[in-house]
Amino acid sequence: MAGITAEASWFCCGNAWGPCGSAGHGACGTCNSGSMQHAWPNTSDACYAITRPDSCGITGMSRRTCGFRHATTSLCTGKRIVTSIADCGPQTDLFCGERSCCGGNCASNRVIDFTPAAFSALGLSLSSGLSPVSIDVA
Amino acid sequence: MTSTMDRRSLLSRAALGATGLVAATAMGSLAPETAFAATQQFADAGQPDPNFAEGLIMGRNQDLLQVQGSDGRLHRIQLTGVTSVWKLRPTTIDQARIGDGLYARGVLLPDGILAAEAIWVNIVNLTVAITAIGRNGVQLDHHGQKVVGHVQSGTTAAVYNGTPAVSDLSMLKVGRHAQVIGAWRPGTNEIDIATIYTSN
Amino acid sequence: MGTLAAAQPLLIGLLLLWSSYGKFADPQQADRTALPRLVGDSRAKPVYQAVAVVEALIALALLLPPSWAIEAFAAVALSAGFTGFLVYSKVVVPEASCGCAGKSAKPVGNRAIARALLLLATAGLATTASTGWWSAGAGVLVLVVEAVAFAMLSAELDRYWLLPLRRFRIRLSHPYAGTASDDTPLVATQRRVLLSPAYRAVDGLLRSDIHDYWDDEDWRFVSYAARYDGRRATAVFAVPHQDSTPAAIRVAVVDEEGLTLYRPTMLATTG
Repeated sequence: MAGITAEASWFCCGNAWGPCGSAGHGACGTCNSGSMQHAWPNTSDACYAITRPDSCGITGMSRRTCGFRHATTSLCTGKRIVTSIADCGPQTDLFCGERSCCGGNCASNRVIDFTPAAFSALGLSLSSGLSPVSIDVA
Repeated sequence: MTSTMDRRSLLSRAALGATGLVAATAMGSLAPETAFAATQQFADAGQPDPNFAEGLIMGRNQDLLQVQGSDGRLHRIQLTGVTSVWKLRPTTIDQARIGDGLYARGVLLPDGILAAEAIWVNIVNLTVAITAIGRNGVQLDHHGQKVVGHVQSGTTAAVYNGTPAVSDLSMLKVGRHAQVIGAWRPGTNEIDIATIYTSN
Repeated sequence: MGTLAAAQPLLIGLLLLWSSYGKFADPQQADRTALPRLVGDSRAKPVYQAVAVVEALIALALLLPPSWAIEAFAAVALSAGFTGFLVYSKVVVPEASCGCAGKSAKPVGNRAIARALLLLATAGLATTASTGWWSAGAGVLVLVVEAVAFAMLSAELDRYWLLPLRRFRIRLSHPYAGTASDDTPLVATQRRVLLSPAYRAVDGLLRSDIHDYWDDEDWRFVSYAARYDGRRATAVFAVPHQDSTPAAIRVAVVDEEGLTLYRPTMLATTG
């Protein structure tokens, strides 16, 4: 699969404080907010049935299972990180067509969700919450 | 306080081009791209990032925070005058209090202290459905859990269909999905809403 | 009382059919309930489907003649089982959903338990019936009231009546009707900064999130901690209130002593 351009956001996991307390360690049982990890919308049939990227017209979303590594480059800061799959998400179908831009770079559709550690490692602000990225196999 | 005002005034003039540029020769030696290449290495995929901390503030000794991570790690986090602090809005380091949750990014020093460059206090990023809107707040369904979102006049902003953020919340609709960036109120299921992304 | 009791099997039968249908239509819901914890991951789905079969059988027995007392007792046993299971869910696996009658990620709440208790009560009443529901006459009218009570206790049905009702109330008077103002929220400024050429010129230098922000006449200023040539510095953006073009945003990098180290727009003009 060639690199895809998409919107990225962040989520918390690992029984941390606040509303994250009930989140647990994600679909893979390994997710922690402080680790370099991400959620992927096609980790299993059950996962795909929830996230439904196809409903946004994204086809050929590869099945990647727990621990699989993706390299992501921020189209905002140019920083690149390698993270592994630790959960199922984001709910791509809820945000079809949504676009975020940085400089002259824009991306549509939410395909990846990072832990706060990984999202901030991309040089992105947790308070802005959304950013365009380019995703590749690590 | 005066020094803050002086600094702001100086920065304002610098940004608007009213100050002279020094060390013009240094500029050639350091284009931003080269500075950028020297940035730190990150942890391996799947591993905890040593330059990042997450957890609850258990103690505070002046500007040194003791933080208990949810993964069992204990962190000591040093705040300085240049640390950016987000708590519903950019604020000052004295706002990080015992009982608050935080995420911090910085540089891990050899003595095990994380010198924080940015901390986000009580920040949450939730994918929710709006189940009711009342004067006391917006009721949100977060994967089946009820969360009450409070509106803070002058801070809370809404982004409808990706258009620029506005303070007008009158287009929020019951039944719609939304993404909410907010600040959790410790010990409760309530948050103050910073930004709500939704459709109108 | 006799006709009232006799009418109950009609309502119970219809409810069980609905609930059974929901389980057949989406057996994956089993994974979200407390069943995996109770009977094991591999058995959750078969058990869920088996419950659906039992529900359907009892429902059909209640709805179709002849009328036997055993049918009502079976319904009592089933609804007692439901109540027990829901209480178990709420206590042992608080995040588990009810899996009762359809797709709902909501955890088991008091409403779901109240509904199971109401079902138990109606089933109990049905055991005292001496005739079939088709002979209940006016007793059937009471079922309308009971059905409304069941509907109001069903979180699965909220979107058909509760949400539209709330939507209607908000259309009459929105609690946040007066929140529009001319002040630009900081998040709007932040997004404009991210889109600007000025940001791209310095993003590699930035070390923090927004450190400070202030308004001064026609401009909003936003500062970040930065590093320049190994030194501590501040990157400050000037964002005009009026001009919304990305190129109108300016930036300067200023060191601790207040000396301006870098200003990309100036670089562009002076070559």
